[in-house]
Amino acid sequence: MTKQKAMLIDIKRCIGCLSCETACKQLHGFSTAPEPTLSDTAFTVVETRGGTFVRKVCMHCNDPACASACPVGAIGKTAMGPVVYNADKCIGCRYCMLACPYQVPRYQWTKLAPFVKKCDMCAERVEAGKPTACAEACPVEATIFGDRDTLIGEAWTRIRDDSSYVPRIYGLEELGGGSVLFVSDVPFEKLGFKPAPTGNQPMPTLTASALGDSPKVVIMGGTILSALYWVTQRRHEVALAEAEEKATINRSRGKRS
Amino acid sequence: MIARIKSEITLWRVIIAIIFVTGLYATYIRFFEGFRASTNLSDQMPWGLWVGLGTLCGIGLSAAGFGISAAVYLLGMERYRPILRASILISFLGYLTVMVGYLYEIGLPWRFWHPIVMWNHRSMLFDVCICIMTYTTVLTFEFAPAVIEKLPWKAFRETVLRYHHKILIAVVLAGVLLSSMHQSYLGGLFLIARGKIHPLWYSQYMHALFYLSAIPAGLALTVMAIYLSMRSLNVRVDFSILSDCGRMIQMLLIVYAFFKFLDLVSNQALGYAFQRTSEAGYFWLEVLLFLAIPIFLLSYDFVRSNPERLYWTSAIVVAGFMVDRLNVSINSLQTAMGTHYVPKWTELASSVLVIAAGVIAFRYAVIYLDILPKMTAKPATRWISNAGVPAQA
Repeated sequence: MTKQKAMLIDIKRCIGCLSCETACKQLHGFSTAPEPTLSDTAFTVVETRGGTFVRKVCMHCNDPACASACPVGAIGKTAMGPVVYNADKCIGCRYCMLACPYQVPRYQWTKLAPFVKKCDMCAERVEAGKPTACAEACPVEATIFGDRDTLIGEAWTRIRDDSSYVPRIYGLEELGGGSVLFVSDVPFEKLGFKPAPTGNQPMPTLTASALGDSPKVVIMGGTILSALYWVTQRRHEVALAEAEEKATINRSRGKRS
Repeated sequence: MIARIKSEITLWRVIIAIIFVTGLYATYIRFFEGFRASTNLSDQMPWGLWVGLGTLCGIGLSAAGFGISAAVYLLGMERYRPILRASILISFLGYLTVMVGYLYEIGLPWRFWHPIVMWNHRSMLFDVCICIMTYTTVLTFEFAPAVIEKLPWKAFRETVLRYHHKILIAVVLAGVLLSSMHQSYLGGLFLIARGKIHPLWYSQYMHALFYLSAIPAGLALTVMAIYLSMRSLNVRVDFSILSDCGRMIQMLLIVYAFFKFLDLVSNQALGYAFQRTSEAGYFWLEVLLFLAIPIFLLSYDFVRSNPERLYWTSAIVVAGFMVDRLNVSINSLQTAMGTHYVPKWTELASSVLVIAAGVIAFRYAVIYLDILPKMTAKPATRWISNAGVPAQA
């Protein structure tokens, strides 16, 4: 069994050198000019929030909202952890962008054949046993790559050994957890991490309950409608028979007189 | 000669010409220059007017077809038979406009068929796609007799219509279920956007609310279309049927208003309606147009029994419904997404083009097919009688 991989991002250690951003852009052949937010040519950026550097990147959820939303199943989570996008399936509906609670997927708005763009956690490199480009580039180990279990242990160690850390690993359980983990010395709420809309429940559960009801509704609705139709037909038949009876009586009366 | 040409140029023809020229130009920009040139969509507002107006309003306003066909075929409410075909035609054309709109919306329109072969049963949008495609087929089937009965080949006509009649009820039943599913799934699309949608609209029962609101809106559009046909297309319908539709619209709106209110209370979202935010403003506009004004007006007999007044009241219902769908799909998202989206003229022009094409198709169908009873004394040559059974004569 392959072990799930993950990235641990330590906000306290980050020095804002943008090496991760540059490495990512170089790997994908984009211009290395830094960008303020995620874009179709910036799959990770380092934002500054009140003097603290906060990396923004796909969280690679364990049960991703984008993957559940995609009508053609173009997005999926691999056994190793990365949430990957299959451009050959995509129709460009952009529902993944609406669904993602972290607002990560970006679209190539300027292209005539536009695709969705987002971090794929260097799925090919990971498959080949290499770390992600950003983790490899980080000079201060603010982003490290490894087995998810090992990294969780490492995160707790850092939190235990240094009391300035917030005692929480963001991404461990939020929305069902994911393959990108954050530790920080500043409360996450102050760094633009929004409260998880469904707590520790994965986002797809929101849709699943509504979809799960539909077989029941269809079976019940179908039965009720069929029954109503039967009643309608029966009434129709009875009315016809009565009219016929009346007509026969009238005819026989007519004969007698 | 010039006088004749002049007499051909009427106000509506000029308007239609403008709609077609601008719409076709907008279409050119969409397909040959891309989204950036043709829309104001962004990473913060991935869905805009095309989804809000084209799909959500288009499908919602086409809800009368399944409502009336359920009433007539399944519940035996024969009273509504005269407007059955018109409502099915409206739904059919409505769904066709949505199908065309779908090609504008998706980034890779030549892959429109992907959802048919690439399934993701966990996706609300997948279910919407499949339901809409299947139901459009059902509508084609339900509408087909109006065309087939006009074909010149008698034997073919009669054979096809006999088999058509045999499976009609089953198809109608399937159509009602399919409609109920995707009318609500359209609301279900937004369930996963929890945390982004403003609390005045987000609810775990959004799908149910979408379903409840679509039926009165669809009926209102049918009333409008039939009124206009009566006024300008030499068509005669017993007006009391439309009056009854008015009463039904009011009843359904009251039911919707009740559940919407209940939902707001149970989600503790009612307070948001009294904040000084633009969302609250949009919310009250929706409440006024879709619920308060129509429910108030339709409770008066002098509104219901007057064609023109009923027409304008229905127009308010339709407008209110559109405000509701645009609120859910655009206005409710702006704050959380940190953006302000105003559609580009090209988005509006192309949407209006598709809608106008639907309206024109409706007009010619009513003129050339037996959709609504004609005023002229010429006896109808319909193979299916008004009672839906093969004509004996």
